[in-house]
Amino acid sequence: MFSQIIVSPAPHTSQNLTTRRLMADVLIGLVPAMVASAVFFRFRAVLVIAVCVAACLLSEWICNRLRRKPNSLGDLSAAVTGVILAMSLPPAVPLSVAVIGSVFAIVIVKMLFGGLGNNVFNPAMAARAFLTASFGAAMTTWTVPATIDSAMPTVQASNVEAVTQATPLAWSKMALKGQATPEQVHAQLKDVFWGQVGGCIGETSAAALLLGGLYLLVRKTITCHIPLAVLLSAGIFAAVGRLLKPDVFVRPDFHLFGGGLMLGAFFIATDPVTAPLSVRGKWLFGIGVGLLIMLIRVVGEYPEGVMYAVLIMNAFTPLIDRLCHTAPVGGKPHV
Amino acid sequence: MIFAAKKTFKGGVHPLENKHYTESCPIEPVPTPRQLVLPLVQHIGAPCKPLVQKKQTVALGEPIGRSDAYVSAPIHSPVNGVVKDIALASHPVIGRTTAVYLEAVPEENPPRIPQPQRFDEHFDPGTFTPEQICTAIQEAGLVGMGGAGFPTRVKIDPNPAMPKHTLIINGCECEPYITCDYRIMLEWTWQILAGIRLAARAAGCQTVRIGIEDNKPEAVKAFEQALSRCRCEEDIQVVVVKTKYPQGGERQLIRAVLGKQVPTGGIPPQIGVCVLNVATCAAIAEAVVFQKPLTHRVVTVTGRAIARPGNYYVPIGMSVQDLLAHCGGLTERAAKVVLGGPMMGFAIADLTTPLTKTCGALTVLTREDVTEPKYARQQTACIRCGRCLAVCPEGLNPTKIAHAVKHFRMDRAEQYYLSACIECGSCSYVCPAHIELAGYIKTGKLLKAREKKRLG
Ligand code: SF4
Ligand code: SF4
Repeated sequence: MFSQIIVSPAPHTSQNLTTRRLMADVLIGLVPAMVASAVFFRFRAVLVIAVCVAACLLSEWICNRLRRKPNSLGDLSAAVTGVILAMSLPPAVPLSVAVIGSVFAIVIVKMLFGGLGNNVFNPAMAARAFLTASFGAAMTTWTVPATIDSAMPTVQASNVEAVTQATPLAWSKMALKGQATPEQVHAQLKDVFWGQVGGCIGETSAAALLLGGLYLLVRKTITCHIPLAVLLSAGIFAAVGRLLKPDVFVRPDFHLFGGGLMLGAFFIATDPVTAPLSVRGKWLFGIGVGLLIMLIRVVGEYPEGVMYAVLIMNAFTPLIDRLCHTAPVGGKPHV
Repeated sequence: MIFAAKKTFKGGVHPLENKHYTESCPIEPVPTPRQLVLPLVQHIGAPCKPLVQKKQTVALGEPIGRSDAYVSAPIHSPVNGVVKDIALASHPVIGRTTAVYLEAVPEENPPRIPQPQRFDEHFDPGTFTPEQICTAIQEAGLVGMGGAGFPTRVKIDPNPAMPKHTLIINGCECEPYITCDYRIMLEWTWQILAGIRLAARAAGCQTVRIGIEDNKPEAVKAFEQALSRCRCEEDIQVVVVKTKYPQGGERQLIRAVLGKQVPTGGIPPQIGVCVLNVATCAAIAEAVVFQKPLTHRVVTVTGRAIARPGNYYVPIGMSVQDLLAHCGGLTERAAKVVLGGPMMGFAIADLTTPLTKTCGALTVLTREDVTEPKYARQQTACIRCGRCLAVCPEGLNPTKIAHAVKHFRMDRAEQYYLSACIECGSCSYVCPAHIELAGYIKTGKLLKAREKKRLG
């Protein structure tokens, strides 16, 4: 009669939360940014996102098949990787490059390390780094958002023939190099906030990313520690720079809203697998990411630093976990 | 008041309380079953040896098991009956153990009805000396009735090396579903109060704090009224603590009430505190004043899959199936039968398992209550989200401990303070990957104990 009765260790109930639910929430959180990208880059953005997601799902399915492991597409983590990778690619990226990136992210960075939970580096960021190294030109060609005509300032990328549209960070770099004044750059702030600028597919609209990030916080999908740490440390870095040298540094809000900082703070650095476990560790990690982003932006050769900042801190995660190994609340036991 | 920080501890979880099934059911007696099984281990400490033989007749309240060890508690017969056998029986916690099988004629054993009205504000604990109280508690076989089952006498015996000054009474009942303590706090207020005053006198505690969660305002009111009537508000005070699991954990409650932390691996007397559960206090009053041994206790039978949930005054040794039958039996939807509450209870497969002194509830969960991933036991990979660390009331790193145990790295597990875990299960409760973290940790403790034994 009671064939259904089972026995297992306590507790006998659980919070109704699964990995799949968490990943689904991240996808929902990314929806505003995806909509914004469809508005600014039209069909191209949708196409790149779809191609990346499909390539990620397919690679994971094939990997599981080859390793005779159960299908793990249901946890939706491959889909999240696909969307995040697409969001951090330029809209004009050739689809073949997008596919290569997706396969690299899933096969090399995730599955070869043991699948979800075991990867050391954020798959999307590692793949993007790989693409940047291999397809430099394709990765730095920025299209003009479809909602404006090309009245915006343009720069000629030195290594490509194509006329590219400057990203907010290219402007701030120009300011640093004395090719423009910060005030000229600040005039673009409103467009930068709403996303009407050049840049990667998903990073342009700070407003949409903030909305999605807020959703994740409200749903408790992520905790506030990493985003706060990233935004605060980057903001303070930028503010100090601005105070010391107002003639070359752009305002901190421009830095926060420009480039991939919002995407990084809410969706990439918060990837649980590659971030530290403890709250203290998360603060350290976030501060590290924020400072590295700003260092790369200001000192480095690249205008943008989110990708390398996250990857570098990923490498530090095990160390941070070890550093934050604290005693229990009752203090160290006397043995 | 709204902004005043509520007294509590750090971490913890908020499982669905589900107390509505039984919180308004008055305590009811149950008819004596034909057979009772009394395991000889119902406490932490040395197991008892049987004092009776096969076919011997025993009287209600007669001791049937005892041990000479200090940390132990005798076991008494809850009925007038005959010893049928002394054999192995299922035990919810330790698997199988020796037990005394008693046979009783229900007609000769009318259901025992609790009589809390014998106590009132005129009760004077001064008529008993501390030694008398301690002896009576030991003779009655009292153990902590909140679940741990530590012999009460050992807890309150004055120890010159670690003098106790504060007695904390645990009326939190933070486990979901369970309402047995809540009901006795409402119905047996005076008896509990008498027990509290006796215990405080025996242990030499001047201050008494009764910790009650803020979801039980009725119980708080009952105690406050009683305290003002017997004019002991000076020494005995009710402390309202935040409703959160595991607020009723000894270390968590001390933290919430006194703001002090018991050292890791230490015991409450080290900081001069003794913690007793309300049900234990009620039993102390009976034991000391009426020399009644611990043979019955209140058990909450609850859950969606029970026809007649309620709070029952049950003879210890009654089998789970007899009690379930009395409550209308299980419905088809039953998926898990748990002795205790859903967070720390023990799931059983053998319904002939007897109820013991420490078992305050019988919770029958349906598949929906267990939640689907837990029912299917789908444990996925740890995504390192850190939720288990955030909720651990002891500030541990459950995922690291569980991983170490999984790979039999006991040294590594101990580096992450395996033995500091109180096994509250909060970590398993929140884990989105549904890893049985607390299960691994318990296994780790067993492995460690075994290793220690082997090494002598
Ligand atoms: S590690 Fe132990 S004390 Fe911490 S939450 Fe898990 S079961 Fe509770
Ligand atoms: S809660 Fe579960 S998934 Fe999250 S870190 Fe702990 S063990 Fe891993």
